[in-house]
Amino acid sequence: MGAVRNLSGQKIVMHGKDVCLQGVSITYPNGFTAVKPTDLTIGAGEFFSILGPSGCGKTTILRAVSGFVEPSAGRVLIGGEDQRGIGPNGRPTALIFQNLALFPLMPVWENVAFALEARGIPRKERRARAHDLLELVALPDQADKMPGELSGGQRQRVAIARALAVEPAVLLLDEPLSALDLKLRQHMRAELRAIQQKTGVTFIYITHDQGEALTMSDRVAVMNDGVVEQVGTADEIYSDPRSAFVASFVGEVNAFYGRVVALDDRMASIDTPHGLLRGRHTGALTQGDQAILFVRPQQVEFGEDSGANRFSVMLERRSLEGAFLTFETRTDNGARIIIHQTNSGPSPVTTDSSLQVSFAPDAAVVLPDGPVANTGIETAAQ
Amino acid sequence: MTSQRILTTYTWAFLAFMFAPLLLMVVSSFNDASPPTVTDWKGLTGKWYAFFWMPQDALRADEVLRSLDRDRFIGCFGNSLVVAAFVVPLSLLLGLAGAVLLTRWRSRANGMLWWVLLSPMLAPGIVLGLSALVFWSRLGVNAGLFTIIMAQTTFVAGYPMLVLMARLQRQPVELEEAALDLGATPFRVFRRLTLPYLAPALISAGVIAFMASMENYNTTMFAKGGACTFATEIGAMARNPNGHPPVINAVGTIIIALTVIAATLHTWLSRREAIK
Repeated sequence: MGAVRNLSGQKIVMHGKDVCLQGVSITYPNGFTAVKPTDLTIGAGEFFSILGPSGCGKTTILRAVSGFVEPSAGRVLIGGEDQRGIGPNGRPTALIFQNLALFPLMPVWENVAFALEARGIPRKERRARAHDLLELVALPDQADKMPGELSGGQRQRVAIARALAVEPAVLLLDEPLSALDLKLRQHMRAELRAIQQKTGVTFIYITHDQGEALTMSDRVAVMNDGVVEQVGTADEIYSDPRSAFVASFVGEVNAFYGRVVALDDRMASIDTPHGLLRGRHTGALTQGDQAILFVRPQQVEFGEDSGANRFSVMLERRSLEGAFLTFETRTDNGARIIIHQTNSGPSPVTTDSSLQVSFAPDAAVVLPDGPVANTGIETAAQ
Repeated sequence: MTSQRILTTYTWAFLAFMFAPLLLMVVSSFNDASPPTVTDWKGLTGKWYAFFWMPQDALRADEVLRSLDRDRFIGCFGNSLVVAAFVVPLSLLLGLAGAVLLTRWRSRANGMLWWVLLSPMLAPGIVLGLSALVFWSRLGVNAGLFTIIMAQTTFVAGYPMLVLMARLQRQPVELEEAALDLGATPFRVFRRLTLPYLAPALISAGVIAFMASMENYNTTMFAKGGACTFATEIGAMARNPNGHPPVINAVGTIIIALTVIAATLHTWLSRREAIK
């Protein structure tokens, strides 16, 4: 539960509720299954992100929670109550659309107060409430403007204020920041997080931008092809991916394909064109399986000190990214390995030089072969 | 170079083909000759226009005008206004319902429904007029203004439907979804969002429906029974064995003038809107 007290002394009280998807699957009339059977529990007052590439089914899940789509199977529970048969106007949810969907022919305050108008609250009270809500989103002086006269960031805030006017238990956000430029987007991330914490409303945030998901969320669900691949905190998703897709979609990664030749409780060895490589595994492997070893660019180091996984590479390109340096290297048999290093002064290595690189087995993870994300990173050759 | 010239010639020929008859009509409406002509100039006159308000004795003095029944003509014009006063709101209502149905209710039957709703526009007017006549006479309704209204509405409703559909398709569905999500009933969504959004299109659809109703001849002809409208009366006058009276040309010229004024006004208003 959260309470917001604004300057005029009125209290805006909202209560977050938990959302529970039980065996929800969604098949469209044209036969396309957008969401395969899914169980998901989102806690009351949680900032929960669903991260995945476009077409993975994340927006469909959002529409099922808001009531625009009825699941083909399974149940959606909000605050423990089954929502079957309840339309979008009867659910304790509010949806912020990707294009914001502000009403172009109404001034800002009427937009914000639209939900109150639908409830038959008198005009004077609506106006006062709209004012409070606009203050909450730091937009107090724009009440009488038309949406078309506002900047992108301001329109964003109006959409949030309008959604909060219904005092929703669950706020659903469908990539609301995607139309903003980078700087504003980063600013709005912090703002959204602050509003969520002030109000205590459960936020379900849909995005294909891992930066947004990782920085704002209490927990993240990574989706691909209608399936929730993994649910966890940002740290868990990033450091302990449970599928090849999650490892390759979240953050940059080097990948090596091979076959499992040795296995113990913690570590697996796979046979690759670059020789035997070792890494942690999560228990889903058996001897002889096709597998992929993933290692983050910042875990690869120059020299042979890191341990068992060693390569001789040629340095092809060195680029300065500010706080860190990116090195693009290529092995004898043509695989590319990307290395990130903290930028702590001039680096001794120069391009077109032959180097030794290595990474520790503990820094790498071996996962069963499976679809990987098309992130534009070239993975090391099979 | 030559292809350019051919194109230019073709364009001018096409424009001449379209506008020369209109020009002849306008010029002859000021010529003091009946039947109307432009080759045999008998002097400039405004009497074909003055026909509608000149005093009774002046009317009787003119050998062409005295054979025309002015009161009947004005009565028929009044009938047209009465018909339009019903056809316009009826077809706006039906067209709006059809447009909302076709743009918001997505089903497999949509394609077929589109053709069903538009088929009266494509059907020969004679068929519509006759079928209205037969249908209503079976129900014991005599042909007259009522059957004209019913027959015209069947096809005039198609015009507002097309105009409103084009507008509705440009409104993002998310706006209506957002309003529903905020707790509004479908009726409130319609009243607060859809209707204000459609307002300009409703006005132009109304104008189009009015014109379609006023100028309709063939459907009205079959459904009218003993009644008359503006269009059927002009048709009757045009069948005069001594050649049609130039009064018709005067009426035609007035209609052209009104059309040009309306079009100019519309362009000016929308340009002003665009600047804002």
